[in-house]
Amino acid sequence: MKSFVLRNRTLIQSSAGLLVIFVAAILLSPTDLRTDEVLFLKADNLTNMLRVSAPVAIIALGMTLVILTGGIDLSVGSTLAFCSVVAALGLSEWNLGIFAAILLAILAGGAVGLLNGSLIAWLKVQPFVITLASMIGVRGLTRWLSNNQNIQLRTAGEVAVRFFEFFSQKTVMIGLFVLLAAVFALLLSGTVFGRYVRALGDNAKASVYAGLPIKRVQIAVYTLTGLLAGLAGVLTCARTTTGNPNDGIAAELDVIAVVVIGGTSLAGGRGSIVGTVIGALIIAILVNILGLRNVGANEQLMLKAVIIVVAVVMQHQRTSS
Amino acid sequence: MTDTSTTSEKGPQPILRARNVGKSFGGVHALRDVSIDVYAGEVHAIVGENGAGKSTFGKILGGAIPADSGSFELDGRTVTICNPIDAQQLGITIIFQELDLFPNLSVAENIAIRNLAYSDRLLVNRKRMAEFCLPMLKRVGLDVDPGTMLGDLHLGHQQLVAIARALSMNARVIVFDESTSSLSDEFVENLFQVIDLLRSEGIACIFISHKMEELFRISDRVTVLRDGEYVGSRPASELPQDELIGMMVGRKVSEQTRAESHAAGEVLFECTGLRTRRLHDISFTLHRGEVMGLAGLIGAGRGELGKALFGLTRIVGGQMSLESRPYLPRSPRHAIELGVGLVPRDRKTEGLMMQMSVRDNTTLASLSDLNALGLIRQREESTVVERVGTQTRLRASGAHAEVSSLSGGNQQKVLLGRWLLVEPKVYFFDDPTRGVDIGAKHDIYDLIEQQAARGKGVLFVSSELPELLRCCDRILVLNQGKQVALLQSDATSAEEILRYATSQASQAVAS
Repeated sequence: MKSFVLRNRTLIQSSAGLLVIFVAAILLSPTDLRTDEVLFLKADNLTNMLRVSAPVAIIALGMTLVILTGGIDLSVGSTLAFCSVVAALGLSEWNLGIFAAILLAILAGGAVGLLNGSLIAWLKVQPFVITLASMIGVRGLTRWLSNNQNIQLRTAGEVAVRFFEFFSQKTVMIGLFVLLAAVFALLLSGTVFGRYVRALGDNAKASVYAGLPIKRVQIAVYTLTGLLAGLAGVLTCARTTTGNPNDGIAAELDVIAVVVIGGTSLAGGRGSIVGTVIGALIIAILVNILGLRNVGANEQLMLKAVIIVVAVVMQHQRTSS
Repeated sequence: MTDTSTTSEKGPQPILRARNVGKSFGGVHALRDVSIDVYAGEVHAIVGENGAGKSTFGKILGGAIPADSGSFELDGRTVTICNPIDAQQLGITIIFQELDLFPNLSVAENIAIRNLAYSDRLLVNRKRMAEFCLPMLKRVGLDVDPGTMLGDLHLGHQQLVAIARALSMNARVIVFDESTSSLSDEFVENLFQVIDLLRSEGIACIFISHKMEELFRISDRVTVLRDGEYVGSRPASELPQDELIGMMVGRKVSEQTRAESHAAGEVLFECTGLRTRRLHDISFTLHRGEVMGLAGLIGAGRGELGKALFGLTRIVGGQMSLESRPYLPRSPRHAIELGVGLVPRDRKTEGLMMQMSVRDNTTLASLSDLNALGLIRQREESTVVERVGTQTRLRASGAHAEVSSLSGGNQQKVLLGRWLLVEPKVYFFDDPTRGVDIGAKHDIYDLIEQQAARGKGVLFVSSELPELLRCCDRILVLNQGKQVALLQSDATSAEEILRYATSQASQAVAS
């Protein structure tokens, strides 16, 4: 029992943080004047909260693997916009079917990730630099592709309408996230690949000596993250009924914040998918309750900053004690 | 030992006296009760085999690591040395083998930065800095522009900058820690001239080395350490080389004999004329069941040979073959595939994933055996980890214990367990007993012998000669990247091995 607590102290701490913020949200939430209901706890509010945060949370699953290997991926925000635009163009201008458009958009994200991973693995350049470059380049590509225009789906015909009506459903968005979280949790804890991801981030040099397929692991984690960013782009496109080339600016930082709050160490080797899910929930609740209390967007940013620092300081004290 | 400083024939008092200095790392004694006197204007060599404690002693003097016990006197006054600043203030400086300088700063900045004798703290004044440095550079005979980037200088010249820096802080005792090991002959000679000069200026030089010729060339007095203990001090002129080697090796050696040999006639691995950037013309054959020791000083090329066998360094010439097929590994991964395993020297940086569990570390290199469509067969994994743990006599709180919580010996056993599971045909153990306690050492010997008994070929690097004599069929001695001897371990002695390993005229013949 004691060793279980020790081994999972990061998770236990994150869960406690989630509980605290959940209770705080209930206490701080405004109530319905007529029915005396707590607005925060209304099903409609909770599901809407999850739906809004799903794209960032989905990308964070892949980012967890990237960060576990000791890397970082700054390109996910641009990739999200890229794939959103590809999906919108596919439906409105290229006259692809729903399935083909979605597939194309997700694969486009995967291609960005594959490029990131390959450059990092073969050129041995720091992930920060490579993905910074692709963050800039992919944003440019997206604007070029869309002529810097929003691509509207509402006017694009029946296929497009069916697309966004399906994907913007709360059950679809939340269901996809839950499913993917389960898959990634299994991937990390139960598979050979997951073991390699952790090992690489824990000690890259020893991974060489142990004969691990380092390049393949690196390419795989960035490709997975790219695919997830592609899916997040599709979901964003559906929810907003728009392919917006300026979507997802600074989304990579929200994603990284979620992962870090979830207890994954930026130094690599330590972290979990469950932690990332908790991190995503913490941020989602925070944004939601502040919105309910009509706190302005600027104040929200400042509070987010505080939460990030507090979470990481608490982690740091844990690992050093 | 009673006080001898009052006897006046020794001349003045020792400038520095170390009394009963002790230091242990994780329960292993690196130094025990070492007392040494150092006089002004002498070059005092401290010698011993790898791991004898000489570098530990140097680092304690320089304040890089604190002593556990003992005391120091400087000019008869008791002083404490807890950190490098203390040492600097007392006028003691250590010139590290890997210089603690900043390659991207200028020579002048390197000398002036964090220098207690240099007053400018806030603003950089290049001219004043240069004026401050030039006299010191002149003293060590280094004629460079103080504005030169340090990294652009030859290593030998960088070392002179380190000495100039020491002089600028009015150093009275300078410790040279293996300072010649990475220098070519002309720079060694250059360094010795500077040391001669320092001696004539009354500075005490402590020269840590294990190269015989150098010791006798430069030092006035020699102190021998062995297994962390003080063996004796003698004037260099009254100490024949054979006697010095005897002091370094000790007597206990010859008693330990080789266990049963498992070497069979069949050749398993062969290496002909192997050359890399640091190895010259290495040739040997390894038979099934044979344990071959690799002896040599640090930097002699033992680790480099491991890297060559494991695809970690470029092979420039020569051939290798494994089971009569050509063997040329492109990477460790490829080497493992072909049947060679290497247990690296530094288990913390090259071996283990310190934040991962015993289980994860043990099976890491053999997960393909537990793979079912990408998933790990967990139950089988637990069984395997359990079995290997028993085999290596691992003591851990459980398979889920983080390896960082284990003792050095048990960490090493986890790493060995990983390689037992890989089942290579040839093992390269790079100093597997370094920093482990005596019980774990014997467990490791047993493991090596078991593997030999199963028909594996074993290459075994060790810095402890008794260990090599005990475990190996034959011992290959390397010296400066060359193969200087291939000895039958039942027909040789630690003295002979050490003579080959330390001789600088390395044209000795391989048998």
